[in-house]
Amino acid sequence: MQNDNTLIQQLKSKDERALSILYDKYSGAIYGVIIKMIRDEGKAQNILQDTFMTVWDKAENYDANKGRFYTWVYRIAKNKTLNVLRKSDPFIQTDDFSVYTNKKEDISIDSEYLELNGAVKQLEDHHKEAIELVYFKGLTHREAHIEMDVPLGTFKSYVRQALKQVREIYSRTLSLIILILNAL
Amino acid sequence: MKMDKKTLLEDGLLEQYLLGQLNANECDQIEKILASDAQLRAQFDQLELDFETIGLENAITPPTVVKTELLDTIKTTEKKVTKVVSLSKERPNKMYLGIAASIAALLMLSSIWMFSQLNKVQEELQIVKSDNTELNSTIENLNVQLEESNVAYNAIANPDTEQYILKGNDLAPDAKVVSYVNHNTKTVIVNSERLPELDAEHDYQMWADVEGEMINMGVISKNKTLMAMTYIDHAESLNITIEPAGGNDHPTVERLVTNVYLR
Repeated sequence: MQNDNTLIQQLKSKDERALSILYDKYSGAIYGVIIKMIRDEGKAQNILQDTFMTVWDKAENYDANKGRFYTWVYRIAKNKTLNVLRKSDPFIQTDDFSVYTNKKEDISIDSEYLELNGAVKQLEDHHKEAIELVYFKGLTHREAHIEMDVPLGTFKSYVRQALKQVREIYSRTLSLIILILNAL
Repeated sequence: MKMDKKTLLEDGLLEQYLLGQLNANECDQIEKILASDAQLRAQFDQLELDFETIGLENAITPPTVVKTELLDTIKTTEKKVTKVVSLSKERPNKMYLGIAASIAALLMLSSIWMFSQLNKVQEELQIVKSDNTELNSTIENLNVQLEESNVAYNAIANPDTEQYILKGNDLAPDAKVVSYVNHNTKTVIVNSERLPELDAEHDYQMWADVEGEMINMGVISKNKTLMAMTYIDHAESLNITIEPAGGNDHPTVERLVTNVYLR
């Protein structure tokens, strides 16, 4: 994405306009991840702002050769959210993820924020859950397989299969688009 | 943990790396493998793109207040940053100050050194000056001596010059004075080399006898061996007496040491 590269260069040289554009492009996806993890709109907004502050301050640390800009921002947001989750309840061990299930009642949040959309929605439940745990809840593979109560190897294959199916869905969509474009 | 492409794919390490689940060491290893394996890299790129698409599909638009606050915060911190920059700008100033101070110190040191050198040179110049004065006076003396010697030489070497030898009498048996008389140029030169030394209170004085009267020709210098005396017209003889230092008006005839008759 040539456009992104230019914007990132501008961001590195402290161009506010570049930050504004990149925020518009990625804040929704990042906010979606944060809110699904923390289930608190106020906290999610603070973390989102904090995430983009870090993006602004540490832009020079981003190395385009190592991965996509979105991946970098995603990791920052995820780490920040996990830190807030750990701090918010000192009695809960980091490896005890019952926090999500136990506190569900306390959280006043629009349930549609927690629903998954797009290609993931079309997956089988166990594939969908595997993606949700590692991607939208910030669990590691080791934590997630316990949460799903399946062996680690099985869990890893869930993730792999889920991603494979997502890939197929996107390829289909893409070929459909190409088909439509060709038809036009 | 030893990593190769196979374990990397089977263990789902690429996904874990992407999701930021791995430690720094594992990340380094994966990054190295990705950099060296183009096929794997392409797979990772695709994975990233898919993850991003999943993210975008599940995007939730945050309230606009977040962006407003973000941009406000950046503007205020930017001001702080400018402040920091302006503070850090003082550092080069301090550096310049340091450089200026060093230069000033160097200049001071070098001027002290130069001042001491100047004093030394002045002292040396003083020495040279006094040496020069001494040399000048020596040259002057030498010139005078040369002139005297020339005069004496010319007088002596002149074919008209007559030589008279004054031999010491009983008062000074060893005395021998050679006098050169030239009646044409009217000069008298004496060689007092062989006159016995006198004490400080006495001098030899020369006299000319003119018709029975002794006329002063001058005191013979103790320092010179050859000196010109006053030429007296019509002198019949030359006489040398011992007189009180500085000479006498009239000769002390009792202390006549030598005399010679002129032809």
